[in-house]
Amino acid sequence: MPATSDTQLQKLLAHPSVWRGRSRAVVETISTGFTALDAGLPGGGWPRHGLVEILTPQPGIGELYLLLPVLARLSCAAPGRWCTWVSPPHEPYAPALESHGVALDRMLVVRTGLPLWALEQALRSGACGMALAWLPRVSPRAIRRLQLAAEQGRALGVLFRSQQFAHLASPAMLRMALDPVKEPGRHGARVTLIKSRGGSRAPIDLTWTAAAA
Amino acid sequence: MQHPRSYRLKFPEPAPAGPVDHLPGSSATPAVLRVRPASPPPKGPPPGPTGQAALKLEPRELWVAAHLPQLALLALRRPGDTRPLVAVDDQTQRIVDADAQARAAGVCAGMTLGAALATAPDIEPRARDALRERELMQRMAAIAAAFTPQVSIEPPDGLLLEIRPSITLFGGLRELCRRLRDACRADALLTQVGAAPHFTLAPTTLAALAAARAGARCFITDPAVLPARLKPLPLPVLRWPAEHNARLAAMGVHTLGELMRLPRAGFARRFGPELLADLDRLLGKRADPRARLTPRERYRGAFDLDHEIEDHERILQALAPMLAELERFLRVRQRGITALQCRFHHYRAAPTRCTLRLAAAEASAERFTRLLRERLATLQLPEPVRRCELRGGALRPLSLDSRSLWSPGEHGHASTGEMPSLVEHLRARLGPQALYGIRRVAEHRPERAWCVAEPAIDERAAARISSTPASTVSRPAWLLAAPQPLEAVRGRPRHQGRLELLRGPERIESGWWDCNDVQRDYYVAKNGAGALLWIYRECQGSRRWFLHGIFA
Repeated sequence: MPATSDTQLQKLLAHPSVWRGRSRAVVETISTGFTALDAGLPGGGWPRHGLVEILTPQPGIGELYLLLPVLARLSCAAPGRWCTWVSPPHEPYAPALESHGVALDRMLVVRTGLPLWALEQALRSGACGMALAWLPRVSPRAIRRLQLAAEQGRALGVLFRSQQFAHLASPAMLRMALDPVKEPGRHGARVTLIKSRGGSRAPIDLTWTAAAA
Repeated sequence: MQHPRSYRLKFPEPAPAGPVDHLPGSSATPAVLRVRPASPPPKGPPPGPTGQAALKLEPRELWVAAHLPQLALLALRRPGDTRPLVAVDDQTQRIVDADAQARAAGVCAGMTLGAALATAPDIEPRARDALRERELMQRMAAIAAAFTPQVSIEPPDGLLLEIRPSITLFGGLRELCRRLRDACRADALLTQVGAAPHFTLAPTTLAALAAARAGARCFITDPAVLPARLKPLPLPVLRWPAEHNARLAAMGVHTLGELMRLPRAGFARRFGPELLADLDRLLGKRADPRARLTPRERYRGAFDLDHEIEDHERILQALAPMLAELERFLRVRQRGITALQCRFHHYRAAPTRCTLRLAAAEASAERFTRLLRERLATLQLPEPVRRCELRGGALRPLSLDSRSLWSPGEHGHASTGEMPSLVEHLRARLGPQALYGIRRVAEHRPERAWCVAEPAIDERAAARISSTPASTVSRPAWLLAAPQPLEAVRGRPRHQGRLELLRGPERIESGWWDCNDVQRDYYVAKNGAGALLWIYRECQGSRRWFLHGIFA
């Protein structure tokens, strides 16, 4: 009898929507393109659907390089998935994206006064594999909405925020802080997982191989 | 030849428009012209009463005529009318048609408005609305088009359908006629104005029309019996000019039977060959080809509201029947539209226009409603709305896809099918400029090496262009919309602290031919915070430093 209930329990615990604090969550993932990061993240990569927050001390320290491999992989897949950029701070530069293997015809840029609404539509529609958004201020409630929209539309939502919000609670499924590496001669960033379902606690150092250097 | 005026004292002048009510034996006691159908067409040409000309009738043709009696009044009638209604011609100020109440009060067609008002002061005269009349006839034609492609409108109030090829499809002549009648009865617009079209069937167009105008029951399939059956019909059903009718009446010719007895040569001499040709067409001795009515290839609808409304949801509700009609219009053609314009008319202010642009051809009313809801939410109305108008754009082929078993994103299902709807949805709310795709341009100048493009949501257009081999020179992922000047201390650029130049210079010198000459030395620099920047220095002039991109 205990044996049966144990197997049933195991079966139940293996369900993707059940996660226990001590174990790693079972999530559908896609490789980040960085071996060190894959090893540190729960499931071995970016979640296929859900909301990810990337917190940076200031914009422009390599947050896009972190995502270019997954952008390339999603947009060049057999049915290329769309990627929506909501209110990017500058123009996504086509030659650079192309040289990283991103399919430009799967990129959609949205510039609007209603970024939150646009992002939610993009995530919920099921049309996009990924949506990136730069929002100046988001309430935890709005993040919860976005998280649900991303799960419903089976899309990966990435929210870029300032590190001053790191201490605030957030319903996003994965939160990471990104810090620049200031050592001379090395170009990369240090990733610290603030919140993850069973990810590594130690900081992960990444080097931009494809970057300028 | 005597002037026809001299006869006017003796014979009453028939009304120019030939209203049915004036004809002997019309509405009250319809002349019954009834022949059993389905007798096989005769092999040889039957002898007609004026039959010198050989019968050239195509025995294959069978025409249904639909006549809308009192069309001028139908077009003017509004719900809640109680006073006797008369339609007045704006130019001549004469009565065109009067309803039963007005006729009972002594008003008849052809009277001047002054005379009519003197006879019956409580009548309600309204100017004739030719546009609305045409609209009613076009509605009839649209219904008829479901039964045969050969439909033509006989202005102002007649409709002709050639139905011989459709008989088998609809399960017999009687069944076809019954369905046609039912379809007209079921139509909302026709029922609303109280239109009761009169249908007749005959082997020639003019015969069917004449019988329909006379309000006679007519179901003739055999051309041989046509002359005999047309005999009792009064002359004005042919709608010849009034002066000819008057002259014929003066000659003692009042019915078609009497007309057919006249000698051809004399008739042609007195009345011209045109009328003789008409007579031949009536009896099927001369071909009477009709131009096919080609239905309008753009949708137009309008709706007058009972009262002014401002609320967006209520406007949407008011638009709903029109959108449903638009969907039917598109579905029967298997077409979609990519643009839909709404016009909201106000009391004083100029009409508000709002145009929906769709990324892909669409025909679903539900989709239009959803997009209009987003669009209306951002629309500022200067005044309450009194009338809504819908105009569909040019028709486009509609591609029909089967639905996928998987929901988008599941099991690697191609989700690209949802993209057009997302683009439309966002554009409806945010405006067309808010969304764009990006494209690579073969150019050396960095700001021109890319351009804004229409999102490639068309799957066929998005046939993957084999990507050019990755360039060896590195470019930043962000490009600033405009280069940002940097301050420099002793020739060294600064941006949030001192900049450390890592690589460079890369000289870009191009564009002398289009007056956007660029001569720059680009460097990759790292600032104090660890961000990699793409900066340049002008090669000429003041040699200033600029920030142009960020390796984010």
